[in-house]
Amino acid sequence: MNYVELPLTVFVVDDEAPARTRLKELLADCNSQLPLEVIGEASNGVEALEKLAELQPDVVLIDIRMPQMDGIELARHLRKLPDPPAIIFTTAYDAYAVKAFELHAIDYLLKPIRLGRLFDALTHARKAVPPTIEVLQELLPEPRKNLSIHERGRVILIPIEEVLFLRAEQKYVTVHTEDREYLIEEALSMLEKEHAARFVRIHRNCLVAKDAIEGFEKVTDPENGESHWTVKIKGLAERLPISRRQQFIVKSFK
Amino acid sequence: MPTSQIIRQNPSYDVLPDFRSLGVLLRTLVSCNAAALVVALMRADNWSGVLRDFVQTGAALQPVLLGCLLALYVLSPALARLSYRRGVAVVLAVVAVIVLAAVEAGGELYISRYEQADLALARYLVGTVGLASALLFYFRLRAIALSPSIYKARVQALQARIRPHFLFNCINTVLSLVRSDPRRAETALEDMSDLFRMAMAQDRELVPLRDEIELSRRYLALEKLRLGDRLQFHWHQAEIPDDAMVPALILQPLLENAVYHGIEPLPDGGVIDVLLERKGGSIQIDVSNPNSKPAYRRRGNKLALGNIRERLDLLFDIEAQYRVDEAADYYRVRILMPYVKEEPS
Repeated sequence: MNYVELPLTVFVVDDEAPARTRLKELLADCNSQLPLEVIGEASNGVEALEKLAELQPDVVLIDIRMPQMDGIELARHLRKLPDPPAIIFTTAYDAYAVKAFELHAIDYLLKPIRLGRLFDALTHARKAVPPTIEVLQELLPEPRKNLSIHERGRVILIPIEEVLFLRAEQKYVTVHTEDREYLIEEALSMLEKEHAARFVRIHRNCLVAKDAIEGFEKVTDPENGESHWTVKIKGLAERLPISRRQQFIVKSFK
Repeated sequence: MPTSQIIRQNPSYDVLPDFRSLGVLLRTLVSCNAAALVVALMRADNWSGVLRDFVQTGAALQPVLLGCLLALYVLSPALARLSYRRGVAVVLAVVAVIVLAAVEAGGELYISRYEQADLALARYLVGTVGLASALLFYFRLRAIALSPSIYKARVQALQARIRPHFLFNCINTVLSLVRSDPRRAETALEDMSDLFRMAMAQDRELVPLRDEIELSRRYLALEKLRLGDRLQFHWHQAEIPDDAMVPALILQPLLENAVYHGIEPLPDGGVIDVLLERKGGSIQIDVSNPNSKPAYRRRGNKLALGNIRERLDLLFDIEAQYRVDEAADYYRVRILMPYVKEEPS
């Protein structure tokens, strides 16, 4: 009995409708030699994440430049899925990204996309090793606009502007927003580096969003009578302690 | 109103300054009065003497100065037709004649009864003609200093115009239309070739505004194909004279900037407002676009805008204004420049 390979399932993400049309035409051209099926498309990263929770394509073609969330950030969030798809980036002109892709042997296609190159990339896609989070982090020229967690088969986005503070707890970091807390598996020091413009470190284990700081309060410890500064966050009753080494930030905010 | 020819259309710096430009008038007024102050400082022996002398010299100077400026303003088109050397000779002669006329009419104001009339007259002539020569020399030096910048700014504008992003975007759009809608693909290619032809054929600093409008509209049509409903634009045009001339590539880069920074970062797009208006002796160009949330904002140098600003400065000096208004929800560039008429050919 012949072994019949299932068609390759492909998902297309591009913010420009003509670009998606063109890509689908080329994919249809590939179909005669490489059985494949386009199972969906999205015009931005958020929409893509929503749809990809239901669909599980083998390959996702992602445009790098998109509004709201660029392609590389999307790829990072997709890595959170239990069975992440292979990713092929597409870009019209992006000297920086292209150099980095070459360096890390990441699949990319230059627009206008040639049929032959698309065909090659798709043939290799099943065997390709998806880029690691570290490499994607390096590729991202700007901080991510969202953090993300994986929850019941889907990727939940936490917009970075909603994050009030981040606290390291053993293996995890808890992300605190006004409504709830999330656990993410990332290093606080990496988050601090990535979002240096938005967060300030107040303690070895805590980063606070600068915009969320409402004020500072001096608190006296009832046990030993020592006093130290704490941060008051907008809308939260909890006071976050500032470590001795970080006391200077109280002055820098006044 | 300056004509296009006078505004250094000619790359050579062997041209007289434009005596009708505000910049030249102001520079002349200020430097002549500064010279009067220097003379006062040298002649007087105490501070009140300096003031008295400055006021006296000023009283004698202003009628001559204003007379010269008025005469040169009137003679300006005729002077522009002369060779540089002849032009200089005529300017100096005009100054001398006006000084003689002023001394003749002014009497006691210029020559007191205690001094020898012919010596005083010689002093006035040497002083004013000398000052006029110095000013002409200064304007020539300034033109020499600025002409490489004008050339450089123009080259930069051309380079900025053919942005790789734009070229590849266009090609992609056309490719996506080839199979599904060959007719629109044809139109898009025609628009594209017109656009690049117009953009590359710029060998003059000033082009008819109607050409720049045409170029900009073709540009928007191409972007509209790519961005679809995300790109909306409102185009208002009021009393734009048909013979108005503007610096080449002044409007299209503003629109490209608005698309790149204002529309593309927004998932749902937005509206670009273009307003072209004649206001008396000026042409006003307004381009505004939505300002995206800082989180969505694109990085990117404001090279194109810097270049426009630089060319306006070089071409129109202080007569052009360039302003950026930025608020939470919009970003607007406003340019006000003199209405320059096309030379009838």
